[in-house]
Amino acid sequence: MRRGAAARLLSHVMLVGTIVALGMLAHEAFAQTAPLGALRQAPTGGLFGWLLSKQALFYRELSGLIRAAKTDGSAVWGLIGISFIYGIFHAAGPGHGKAVISSYLLANQETWRRGIALSFASALLQAITAVVVVAIVAILIGATAKAMGDTVRVIEVISYALIVLVGARLLWVKGRAFAYTWRAIPADNGSEMAHALDGHVPCTHHDHAADQPLHAHDHDHHAHPHGYGHDHSDDASVLPWGHAHGPEPQELAGPGGWRRGLSAIVAVGLRPCSGAIIVLVFALAQGLFWAGVASTFVMGVGTAITVAAIATLAVGAKTVANRIAATRAGCGTLVLRGVEVGAAIVVTLFGVLLLTGTIASERMGMF
Amino acid sequence: MARRIGVLIATTVGLLAAPSLADAHPHVWVTMTEEFVYAPDGSVTGVRHAWTFDDMFSAYATQGLEQKTKGQFTREELEPLAKVNVESLKEYAYFTYAKVNGKRRRDAFLDPVDYYPDYDPKETVLTLHFTLPFKAPVKAKALDVEIYDPEFFIDFGFADKDPARLVGAPAQCAVAVEKPRDDFFSASVRLDKSMAWEANVGTGANFANRISVTCP
Repeated sequence: MRRGAAARLLSHVMLVGTIVALGMLAHEAFAQTAPLGALRQAPTGGLFGWLLSKQALFYRELSGLIRAAKTDGSAVWGLIGISFIYGIFHAAGPGHGKAVISSYLLANQETWRRGIALSFASALLQAITAVVVVAIVAILIGATAKAMGDTVRVIEVISYALIVLVGARLLWVKGRAFAYTWRAIPADNGSEMAHALDGHVPCTHHDHAADQPLHAHDHDHHAHPHGYGHDHSDDASVLPWGHAHGPEPQELAGPGGWRRGLSAIVAVGLRPCSGAIIVLVFALAQGLFWAGVASTFVMGVGTAITVAAIATLAVGAKTVANRIAATRAGCGTLVLRGVEVGAAIVVTLFGVLLLTGTIASERMGMF
Repeated sequence: MARRIGVLIATTVGLLAAPSLADAHPHVWVTMTEEFVYAPDGSVTGVRHAWTFDDMFSAYATQGLEQKTKGQFTREELEPLAKVNVESLKEYAYFTYAKVNGKRRRDAFLDPVDYYPDYDPKETVLTLHFTLPFKAPVKAKALDVEIYDPEFFIDFGFADKDPARLVGAPAQCAVAVEKPRDDFFSASVRLDKSMAWEANVGTGANFANRISVTCP
């Protein structure tokens, strides 16, 4: 029974979590459309205020260090160090794919290892695009900052469109899995009425039923008429979900999974960080482009660490939730599938809001 | 167990959502010197901005511009930049918000006039000068002008010396500047209001720099 209570609490928490996430996203969308200068709201404080103040300080350090590197080679080490720390802090701001990557991982049955790989790959790609954009626009073409901004905007649109596509695909796959689970639940037996009289919703009842073939009968619901002798059709072997893991659609585990992982990497990593572009152009103006390139890649490593940490947390939460859901096959699994759908919705919405300019990821100053 | 998972999930959700909400991410720093221009009748006709960008953004902004002498830009060479700058600033309402006698006035300004950039080769920084004329000259007891980027991609701050001046103002008028922050960060941050999603748009407003003119 305690386990049952835990699972029910978990379901509620996860549902609430998903709703809160969606709500916050909606709030963001709403708030962003508020007239400029109309609000004077509560200041950012605490952790984010602190992160913010730190990253600003480190960013301001970069220009001095690049300048110093012109005459003093050893300043490069300082530059590398500050770039690294800046990357770690900076990734706490928007535009580095934390939300998309973590939601993607939540929606999928991904391992933490893959979460880390995704984070590093997308951060690396982000560094590469920054260097390539500056190399082509500034060095090869010698175009102006406006051209640079326009180029970034085109890349941005492609990247956001990709996020929408990745989200839509997830939504399709996860939505089907959810529908499948949903349909499977009331189909397991015909005694729903009796349990409805017990005050059990079908989902809860189902949990009890599904529990029994899998575990020792350690809960004390003596009032229930069914027991081991009961003929259940929802044995683990025939359920669409397994004991430990929901059997994801085949393609997720196979090579196709990597390809879709790649689409997430590209979607997130394509848009270069504005800060990296500015640092690169500044380094170029100082005649030390390579120092900018080094700084950009080290920044990328720092960014990846933050994103990977958050991604790992997401995967960890999902794994634990999975484990619990597995002990409560019916409702738990349904809630898990629901969370996956929720995460898929978050990815899609994020892409749409970014694409429509409702929320801004980053801006290149004032061009 | 369940509580621990609850905390874990809540933390995850919070971490996912919060940073994107606290849109605080400046890549550009502006040091401002402001002037309020008065007509002979004692009304304010406009706000004259002088915005100096940080050296990194100055390098970025001047990227690709033709220059005769390396490391220097004449006003002619910078002219295309000024045009682009001022045109794109329109989209952001010039980051300038006016309050007349305590009431916010929307669309207070006309398009900018007298705009020109200026490059300091020694400091390698770019300064953008422009004047925002009021649609209707303001004759009020209290005029507040706030300058900030609501999305906080640009961090505006007053110059240390003479951040705001009145040009041709009646003798009884006084100007005061409110700097809500230290070097890079708001001093007015209140830790009791640290819920990240409370501080979404308007994040920049927390870093607002206010110039108040009183003419009793």
